[in-house]
Amino acid sequence: MIKLEGATKLVRIKGFTKAIINDVSFVIPRGKSVGLLGRNGAGKSTLLQIIAGTLELDQGRVIRNGKISWPLGFQGGFQGNLSGEQNVRFVARIYGVDTEELVAYVADFAELGEFYRAPVGTYSSGMKARLAFGVSMGVKFDYYLVDEITAVGDTNFKRKSQQVFKERLRGSDVIMVSHSASSLRDYCQTGIVLEDGKLTYYDNLEDAISAHESNMKRPRT
Amino acid sequence: MSTRFGSKPGGYLWAFVDPVGHILFLSVIFMAISHTPALGTSFLLFFATGYIGFQFYQAMAGYLNGAVNANRALLSYPNVAPIDTIFSRYILQLGTTTVVAVCVFSAINLSLKNPLNIHWPFILEAALAASLLALGSALANNVLFLKYPLYEKVFGIITRPLFMISGVFFLPDSLPHPARDIILLNPLVHVVMLFRKGFYPEYRAIGFDAGFLYKVTLPLILVGLLIFTGSRRSLRQ
Repeated sequence: MIKLEGATKLVRIKGFTKAIINDVSFVIPRGKSVGLLGRNGAGKSTLLQIIAGTLELDQGRVIRNGKISWPLGFQGGFQGNLSGEQNVRFVARIYGVDTEELVAYVADFAELGEFYRAPVGTYSSGMKARLAFGVSMGVKFDYYLVDEITAVGDTNFKRKSQQVFKERLRGSDVIMVSHSASSLRDYCQTGIVLEDGKLTYYDNLEDAISAHESNMKRPRT
Repeated sequence: MSTRFGSKPGGYLWAFVDPVGHILFLSVIFMAISHTPALGTSFLLFFATGYIGFQFYQAMAGYLNGAVNANRALLSYPNVAPIDTIFSRYILQLGTTTVVAVCVFSAINLSLKNPLNIHWPFILEAALAASLLALGSALANNVLFLKYPLYEKVFGIITRPLFMISGVFFLPDSLPHPARDIILLNPLVHVVMLFRKGFYPEYRAIGFDAGFLYKVTLPLILVGLLIFTGSRRSLRQ
C-alpha cells in the first residue's frame, strides 16, 4: 500500500509557482496495477519520483508499505564512466541483492555482448534502455514505478521483455506512466488521472482512459 | 562507488605520478638556484613535506567539489543521497593521498643518510585538518556551484594561486614582518607547517597557531553542512 496524506508539491519555474499536486490524500492499494494518466507537463513523472522518494513533498507525507523500485526510465541511473556490469553491481549492492546473480541475469537479459564491460557513456540510447530494463527486472520489488519504458529494443527483445515483465507482475504491482493506452491496457487494471493538481482514482482502467480523453478535449488551464 | 578509480586503468597510477612529478620538478628547479633547502639538507624531503601536506587539501577539494554533479545519475535511486557521494569520495581520496604519502616518504627515507625521525601526531593532525577544510568548503561548493555558475568561475580564479601562498616551497617563518602576518591568515599555511613539524623535529614553525586552524575549519564544516542540508532538495534535480 502506498498512501499520500495531504500531499502538496510545488515546482518553481522562472519565478512562478505551480502545484503539481495540491493537498492530495490518496491510497494506492496493493494487488492492482495502476496506470497514471495526465496531460503533458501535468507532473506524472514528478509524482512517480515523489512515490519513489527521490523528491520530497512541500507539505504532507508519503507512507510506503512494501519495496518500491526507483522510477524506471529510458536513461536509467547509470554512471557514464563505469561499465554496464559495474553499474549493475552498484545497484545490486545498494538494494542488497546477490551481486553475481544480478550481473549474470542482466548479462543474459540485456544482450549487450562485449559492450557489457564497456563504459555506459559509450552506449546508444537503445542499449542504455535495455540495460535499464534488465537491471530493474532483476531486482524483486513489490511496486515497479515505470515511466514510459515498456517498448525498447527490436521485436524479439520487446517480446521477451513483455514476457518477463508480465511474469514479475504476478507477484508485484506496477504504477505506470504512459501516453499509450494500449500498453496501459496490457499491464494495468485501474487508473489514476492527474489534472489540475488533483488525483482521481478509477477502479476500471477504461473509465480512467475515457476521463483522460475528455480532459484532453478541454484546453489546459 | 569505490569502483570509480577502477574504471580508468591509468587512473590510479596518476595519483602517484602527479605528486612525484611536482616534487621532482620543484627539487630540480630549487637545486639549481640554491645550495640547501630552507629546512634540513634534502630538497626532496622539503618539497615532499610541503606538497603532500598541501595535497591533503588540494586533491581532496578538487575531487569533492564535483562529487554530486559527477554522480547525478546515481541520485535517481531513492536510497542514494547526495551526501553519500561526498562521504564516499572523501574516504576514497583520504585513503589515496595517504597511500601516496606512505609510498613517497618511504622512498625518500631510503635515499636519506639519516633515517627520518617522524612525529606521527603532527602529521596525522595536519592531514586530518587539511581534509576537513576541503570537506567543509566542498559541502558549500557543491550547492553554490550549482546555484551560481559565476561563483564557480570566481572560486577557480581565487583559489588558483593557493599553491603559491601556502608555504609549499618556502617557509613562512623566514618572511619579513608584514608579509608573514598576511600569509598566516591562510589556514593552509598552518597545515603545511604542522605537517613539516612531523618530519623535522628541529623545525620551530614560528607563527603556527593550531587554535586559528580549528577556528577556521570547524565553522567552515558547520556552514558547509548547513548549506548542504538546506539545499538537499535542489541537489537531486
